[in-house]
Amino acid sequence: MMNTSAPALPAIDVSVEAVTVTYNNGNVAIHDATFRLESGTICALVGINGSGKSTLFKAIMGFLTPAKGRVRVGGEPIRVAQKRNWVAYVPQTEEVDWSFPVSVWDVVLMGRYGYMNFLRIPRAADKRIADESLRRVEMWEFRDRQIGELSGGQKKRVFLARALAQQGRVILLDEPFTGVDVKTEAAIVALLRELRDSGHIILVSTHDLGSVPEFCDQAVIINRTVLAFGSLAEVFTEANLSMAFGGALRQFRFAESTVQKHDGRAVTVLSDDERPLVFGKDGHLEFSQRAGREAIVHARAETEDDQ
Amino acid sequence: MIENLGVPFQYDYMLKAMWVSALIGGVCGLLSCFVTLKGWSLMGDALSHAVVPGVAIAYLLGAPFALGAFISGLLAALGMGFVKARTSLREDAVIGVVFTTFFAFGVLLISLFPAGISLRTIVFGNILGISNPDVVQVAIISAVTLLVLALKWKDLVLFCFDPQQARTLGLNPMVLHFTLLTLLAATAVASMQTVGACLVVATLVTPGATAYLLTDRFSRMLAIAGGIGVGTSFLGAYASYFLDGSTGGCIVVLQTLLFLTALTFGPKHGLLASRAKRRLALEGKFA
Repeated sequence: MMNTSAPALPAIDVSVEAVTVTYNNGNVAIHDATFRLESGTICALVGINGSGKSTLFKAIMGFLTPAKGRVRVGGEPIRVAQKRNWVAYVPQTEEVDWSFPVSVWDVVLMGRYGYMNFLRIPRAADKRIADESLRRVEMWEFRDRQIGELSGGQKKRVFLARALAQQGRVILLDEPFTGVDVKTEAAIVALLRELRDSGHIILVSTHDLGSVPEFCDQAVIINRTVLAFGSLAEVFTEANLSMAFGGALRQFRFAESTVQKHDGRAVTVLSDDERPLVFGKDGHLEFSQRAGREAIVHARAETEDDQ
Repeated sequence: MIENLGVPFQYDYMLKAMWVSALIGGVCGLLSCFVTLKGWSLMGDALSHAVVPGVAIAYLLGAPFALGAFISGLLAALGMGFVKARTSLREDAVIGVVFTTFFAFGVLLISLFPAGISLRTIVFGNILGISNPDVVQVAIISAVTLLVLALKWKDLVLFCFDPQQARTLGLNPMVLHFTLLTLLAATAVASMQTVGACLVVATLVTPGATAYLLTDRFSRMLAIAGGIGVGTSFLGAYASYFLDGSTGGCIVVLQTLLFLTALTFGPKHGLLASRAKRRLALEGKFA
C-alpha cells in the first residue's frame, strides 16, 4: 500500500552493552545482555513470556535504568535520544485504552509533541507530517474516528502512523501482528521494509515464531540473557529456539506423526502460532503422534495400495 | 412571583456564594475529565477526606486553610505510596486505610478543639458563610489550577492516555503524575468550601463522567464538563436560597440529574441509543 520511499538517512545504531536489570525484590530480569543493531535492519526480539523481552524493550526506551551496563542510541544516552525523538514505540494493542475520547488525528499528532512548543500547538509542518503519515498507512479517511471504532488492523496502523509522524530513527514494535488481519500484516511488513531500506532500525518483539523468517533480517533470542544474536539464517536454528523456548515450544515432527510417505508434499499445515493443525493429502486429519494410532496409519496405507 | 426570583441577587452573601461556587465548580468540572479518564475517582475521594486534619490544624493555628490542607493531602499521598510500595496490598485497600486514618484524625482534632471550626462546616461545606480571606484562597487556587490546565492540558491528556509515549518523547511522567495529583488536592480543598468534604468527590467525578457519555473528543469533554460544573454550582447555590437547604446537596443533586439524563439520552453512549443500535443490528441481520 505504501510506495513512497524516503531517501537514506544518516546512520544510527542501538547498542545494548552488558545490560543487567533487577526487580525491586532483587530478582534478576535480564543478565548481561549485549547486542548491537546498525542502520537498515529489521530485527526480531524472540523469547517466551517472562524471558525479559518487555524488560529489554523498556530498557531500550529508557523506561527503566539498568542496574549494570548501559544502552546507547546513536552513541548517546537514552535521555538524549528521547529529546531528539529518535526512538518511537508502537504499543501492544492490549496496552491502549480504546475508550479514551481521542480521534485518530489526535493520536497521530501526539507523535509530533516532541517537535512542538511548550503549549503543544501544532504548526503547519506538524500537520503536514501527521497527514502524510496517515496517508502512508492508508488511514487518512479515518482521521476523525474515535480510536475505539476501528478494527484490530486499523488500530495498529494508527499507532504505526504515530511512530512515522514522530520520525523516529529507531522504531520498537511490541507484538505488531496480534489481532491483525493477513492483509494488514502484509501491508505493515511492506512498510517496515521501506523504513529499513531508508536506514531505520526496526526492533520487533514477538512470540509469533512463524512470522519472523517472513520479514526479519536479524534476531535476538533471549531467555533472561541474550542466547543468540546475529543474522536470521545463523541464529534462527532449531537448537537455539529449543534452548530459548524449552518445553514451551509446540512441535510437530513429521517423522513421529501419522503423516506417511504417500502424503508426499501435499501436506497442509495450519497454525495460529499455537499447535499446528495438519491435514494429509486427501484432507484427512493427521496426528502428531503415530503411537496408539497404528490402526489409522494401517488403514490409510491400504487405501493407498488399492489405488 | 417573578420579582422573588431576583431576591438572591440582592444579598451580597448570596452573590458571593453563587460566583465562588460557579468558579470552583468550573475548575472541578475541568479536572473531573482527567480524574475519570485516569481512573482516579477513588483517589479524589481519598484526598478530599485526607485534607481534613490539615484544615483543622490550620484553623487552630490561624494559618491559611489551603496550606494546612495541602500539606495534609501531600502526606496522605506519600503515605499511600509508601504502604503500596512496602506491601502487596491492593491499591483500594491502601487508599481506604490511609484516608480513613487521616479523616479520623481530623474528626478527633476538631472534637477536641471545637473553637477553631465546626465539623459540620468541613463535612458539609458552608459557602453561604464563607469569609473573605477564604474567598481569596479559593480564588488563588482556582486561578493557579486554570493556568496550569491552560498551559499543560495536552501533556496531561497524553499522560492519562499513554504514559509510555509521554516518556518516549522525553516528558517526565512522574512530574505529570504529581502535577495532576497536586491540582486534584488543591481543588479538593477549594471544593470543600462549597459542597463539603463528603461531597467533593462528586464534583470531581460527575461532570467528567457526564461529559464522557456525551462526546468522544477530549476538548469537547473539557468544555461540557466545565460548563456543567459552572452551571450546576451557580444554580445549586441559587436554588439553595429558596429551598433553604444545603448548597452542596443542591449542586450535587443537579449534577446527578444531568448525569442521569446523559446516561439515558446520550447520542452515542446513552441507554436509548444503544438499545436503538441493538435493534438496528438485529433488523439488519434478520430482515
